[in-house]
Amino acid sequence: MSTVAVRRNFPIGHYVRVVSSVIVSLLFLFPIFWMVLTSFKQQVDIFTVPPKLFFEPTFDSYIRYFQRSDIVGKLANTVIIASCSALLSIVVGSMAGYALARIKLKGANAFGVIILLSRGVPPIALAVPIFLVARKYGLTDKHITLIIAYATFLIPYVMWLMRGFFLSLPRELEEAALIDGCSRFGAFIRIIVPLSMPGLISTFIFSMILSWEELLFALVLTNREATTIPVAIAGIAGDTDTGANWGALTAVGTATVIPVVIFALFIQKWLIQGLADGTTK
Amino acid sequence: MVPAIVLMTIVLAYPLLYAAQISFSKFDLMTFGPGKWVAFDNYWKVMRDYRFWESMRVTLVYLAYSLPIQIVLGFGIAYLINAPWWGRSMVRATFIIPMVVAPVVAGGVWKMILDPLWGIANYFLGFFGLGPFNWFADPNLAMASIVIIDIWRWTPFVVLIATASLLSLPKDVFEAAKVDGANWWQTLFMVAIPLLVPVLAATFIVRWLGAVKMFDIVLASTVGGPGTSTVVVNLYIYEEAFRGLHFAESSAMAMIVLVLTMIVTAVLLAVSRKLEDIN
Repeated sequence: MSTVAVRRNFPIGHYVRVVSSVIVSLLFLFPIFWMVLTSFKQQVDIFTVPPKLFFEPTFDSYIRYFQRSDIVGKLANTVIIASCSALLSIVVGSMAGYALARIKLKGANAFGVIILLSRGVPPIALAVPIFLVARKYGLTDKHITLIIAYATFLIPYVMWLMRGFFLSLPRELEEAALIDGCSRFGAFIRIIVPLSMPGLISTFIFSMILSWEELLFALVLTNREATTIPVAIAGIAGDTDTGANWGALTAVGTATVIPVVIFALFIQKWLIQGLADGTTK
Repeated sequence: MVPAIVLMTIVLAYPLLYAAQISFSKFDLMTFGPGKWVAFDNYWKVMRDYRFWESMRVTLVYLAYSLPIQIVLGFGIAYLINAPWWGRSMVRATFIIPMVVAPVVAGGVWKMILDPLWGIANYFLGFFGLGPFNWFADPNLAMASIVIIDIWRWTPFVVLIATASLLSLPKDVFEAAKVDGANWWQTLFMVAIPLLVPVLAATFIVRWLGAVKMFDIVLASTVGGPGTSTVVVNLYIYEEAFRGLHFAESSAMAMIVLVLTMIVTAVLLAVSRKLEDIN
């Protein structure tokens, strides 16, 4: 109904909006398109004037850089670290979020403000002390260090997201369990967690994306064994001594970005809420 | 449950307190920890460091361009997207993609696109008789590159928030404005923007909290150059700490940035509350 009304009232304006929204979205997609395209080019097709749109595609860049054990190792590190830190923050963050949603605590509101402010803490202010502590205990370049470091910034997000989710669940459910003699924790595990699976899984993916992409802590806390893909990409992008290595940059970049994009499209709504939450209520 | 909250507070508070301690101490490179208490010495040193102020200026310039452009562009694009047609949800979904590209990948790929010799950006601009621009060699253009990359990465986020909030605007007010004979611009400034103030303010705050952390994109594209023209404050602190090993001074700088960020955030929150009350 409304579609018809709009078209009748502003025929030209409507089409201008539709066409320009398509053009703008294509413009925003272009860098990704160009990255993927370049990753399938041979070296001779990358450095050309004018830039080539049609060429014989090849997996050369992928084969060359994914045969190098260090890239595969870093990819494995990234998977391990991102999933473990997401898991850790889900366990701690969802319990804390549940506490904030259900248990009446003094100063629970103040805590909300603290969580919001914690997002304003510049990561560099945490990176220096965490590095020094890790170094003191011989924990640099270890997976566990990065996992804990990521959990520090993921937990506030998880808490806040899951608090919102738990608030939307009816209280009667656990109250019934509590009356039947279940402990608070038992009620949480047996009743709340199964009901919250969609929220927990989305928050898990959201947390994984954030640690998957993190650069600063990875740069500071690792140097060889536990290094992640973002560090490798920063290295490739910054390496100008041997000439720009766009084949490597785009192949590794594509392999890093594609899984994230697929997951992100699944959790669209949650992702936006996760990044915007705290201020937009 | 309560232990989880306590644990979280410790995990977050402990590093900050440790950083504060380091910032008030002379750094002992032998034990690699805070040494003698020197009160505000590190802070005075940092205050006299012109490179620190330069990095603050660079950060301010970046924020001053990047944030307003992202907000205006984001809401503008959201208005275009919200035109009802069959492909709308698909167009909207494409904006998810730049948002989840790792910033370091965004920086690297844009470095390739903006390359003065082989980059496709200069090739396209050539059709319009512009350029060729040597993007990373000129201080102003290098800053422009950073702002462009940041806009590309983050405008989609604003777009996605804005599409939802624009759709939730009350329709009857707009119809009333039309009945009263308001033109498109009058409707925009007298009706739409006042109604959107709370969302605009909230979006601005979320973006502000993200933008003050600017680091990855700069590191992957300009690495602060040419000269120090794109050394944002986080990059400067990083280099002072991990290349210069000036941990005490860099902790002091991090503390200054932390306190300033908190103050500005508190002011922004207060202003946004006021603006909501006026409505």
